[in-house]
Parts: sequence; C-alpha cells; structure tokens
Amino acid sequence: MNPFRVAIAVARKDLRSEWRTREMVPALAQFIVLALLIGNFAFQIDFRNAPSIAPGILWLVLVFAGLVAFGRTFAAEREQSSLEAMLMTPASPVAIFAGKALAASALLILCEAVLLPALSLFFGTPFSADVVIAVLLATVGMAALGCLFAAIVARVRARELLLPLLTLPLWIPFIVAGGQAVQSAMGLPGRYDEAVGLLIDFDILFVVLTSLAARFVLDE
Amino acid sequence: MSMVVANGLTHRFGSELALDGVDLVLDTGEHIAVLGDNGAGKTTLLRILATALRPTLGRLEIAGLDAFRERRRLRHYIGYLAHAPGLYPALSARENIEFFCDLQDVSRTRIADVLETVGLVSVAHRRASQLSRGEQQRLAIARAILHDPRLLILDEPDASLDADAADLLGGVMRGRTAVMATHDHALANRLCPRTLVLRHGRSLGTPAHLRVVR
Repeated sequence: MNPFRVAIAVARKDLRSEWRTREMVPALAQFIVLALLIGNFAFQIDFRNAPSIAPGILWLVLVFAGLVAFGRTFAAEREQSSLEAMLMTPASPVAIFAGKALAASALLILCEAVLLPALSLFFGTPFSADVVIAVLLATVGMAALGCLFAAIVARVRARELLLPLLTLPLWIPFIVAGGQAVQSAMGLPGRYDEAVGLLIDFDILFVVLTSLAARFVLDE
Repeated sequence: MSMVVANGLTHRFGSELALDGVDLVLDTGEHIAVLGDNGAGKTTLLRILATALRPTLGRLEIAGLDAFRERRRLRHYIGYLAHAPGLYPALSARENIEFFCDLQDVSRTRIADVLETVGLVSVAHRRASQLSRGEQQRLAIARAILHDPRLLILDEPDASLDADAADLLGGVMRGRTAVMATHDHALANRLCPRTLVLRHGRSLGTPAHLRVVR
C-alpha cells in the first residue's frame, strides 16, 4: 500500500470537510485579526519599535492559532468515532498521521496568509519573502509536534488544557529561531541565515521523531 | 479450519474487569451471536476480536495468525462495524466510501457494488449528515464489507435498521465468518446457529470450560 496515497487521501478528506463546514479557518482568521488589533492598541507602536514588537506578536498569535488548528485534527475524529475506522484499515498509522499533519498545516498556512499581510498593515513592518520563509519553516515542525500531541491528548477529557502544556515547551525552539529570523528580516540586527538553518535542523529532527512516535501513539 | 481461536481473553479498564477469561473457537464460515445485557462485555470482546483493542491477558489467533503480532496483515481479513457509525458528516455517502477505498487499497469500482448491497445507491450523493440514522448504519456496513473481508465483526448492526435488517445482514454475512453482538434474540436465532452469552464479562455455559453455548 502506497503511504503517499494514504497521506494525500487523509489530507484531502480533512480539507474537503473543512471547505464544506468552514468550521475553523474563518474563526481563526477572525481571531488573528482581533489579536493583531489588540496588540496594536496595547503597545505604543511607532516606526522605531515596530520591528522589535511585531515579531513577538506574530509568534504569540501563531502559537495560539496553531494550538486550535492542531487540537482539532484528532479531536474531530474522536468526536465522530471515525478514528478507529481509519485505524482499522491496513493503512500505515504514520501515513495517516502525515495526512492529518499535512491538512492541519495547510489550514494554518491559510491563516498565515491572513496574518502576515495584516501584521504588515497594523504594524507597518516589511512583508518580505524572508519573513514568509521563516514562518513557513516553523510551521512544518510545529505541525508535526502539534499533531502528535493532539493525537495523544485526543483520548483524554482535559485535552484543551493538556495540549498547550505538552506542546508549548517543545515549540520554544521554533519560536526562538523563528523569532530571530523574523526580527532580522524586519531589519533588526541578527543572522537570518543562521536562524533559518536552525529552523531547518529542528524541522528535520522533529519530523523524524514524530513520525517514529506516531506509529505507537496511533496504533495503541 | 478455525478462523478464530481465542483463549482466556481478559480485559481490564483500570480496576474494572470488562472481560474475564472468554474462550471462543469459530470455524471458517460460521456465524455466532454475542448476547448479553448492557455492560456485559460484548463491545470489549468484539473490539478485541477486531484487533482494535489488545487484551490484558489471553491469546487470539485469526486465520492461524497471532492477532496482535500480525495485526496490520490481518486488517485485510477483518471487517469491523463499530457501535458508532464513525462517518464523516461533511462528506457524501460515496465520498465516505471512496476515502476508505484509498485506505483499504481497494479499487473504486467496488463502490457501486457495496452501495447496491446496502441499498444506498439513490442517496449516494447525499452528505452523511443528511442521511437518516438507519441509512448511516447501512453506510457503515458498506464500509465494513468494502474490502470483502473473510471475518466480519458487527457490533449491534441492527441498531436503527428497519424491518428488512435481517435480510440485509444475512446477505452481508453470507460466505463469511461472522461475529455479531445484538440485543435482538430473534435476529440472533435467525442469522446465527451459535450463541455466546456474556454476563459481567464472563461467558455463561456449563460445564465451566465449555464457554460457548450451542
């Protein structure tokens, strides 16, 4: 059985469901705009301090949007009792996990398509390819970890509480490296290439580790 | 040849004993009904037989293979209808089955056959959320037989089905080994020559070592 076919089928199914129900993306997009609006009023922002404040707000918003996006990936399957049906097939649990992570990442990237221009609009920071690359690279690793912990906590009642507790500490490397990359892309001192290199290293490390762990998390 | 050989299947949920040393031997093509009150352990037994749940103790062989070592291989042989239909409400009946074709590695040409078998051809375009509870159950049955399994495990398949449930279930069980949990004794008698009665996780029957009641 081709694992790529399975992963694509799972991702397509999740995206098709989201397209028809519009359950998550519009709500997340609204949350993003509101959070940026609050950030805009809460800080005294001018052209001098915007490059140092805006990246912080960007990562805060992204982290909370990510928690919601990834939290829903397995919670919806549990609520519909459809996860067991999926796992009862001969399809590899790793391929199923990859498909779920792919779909959740695609949804978060859609939200980022709102977040990055809105950030530029509210804070007057540059909207450059370097910022987009840094955010997309962080999304890969954050998606892998977020989906893994979403699969683990989907079985428990206090999942909304447990997901941030488990996920946030492991997202810190992405926030640190991503924060440095975005700050330097916005004109503050720092080495962009070094930070992006770190993001790539973290992506490889966590994608491999979560793929290995996914088999045990989903199979048992 | 035996399709299912289970010895001393025991399962605990924390301190609660859900299944207590159930033995079962089922020959190829044989049908057995699992009866019992709510909480008797029927669903736990069926989930173990479907390899969805690993027993705390005991041994299970399906088609001569260790059910938990060869779990992924055995998934080709087993069709499982769980207690809840587990459908995707935003997808149509056909799309639900299409998705499982990809996961089961089954040709999409089979979709028309299974929808015909369960009588859902006319509503195949409707979203699962727009189907009646009985139609959802039929769709879940279609999904369970999609890969033409040799062993069919059905957890209360008659739930929400109309008067012709017995004909439908008889049709899908024909030619397969089947284990069916139900509360409907008349349906069990009609479809299954053998019956296993569970109470508080234990199978009833005398003598004690003969757990399957004929």
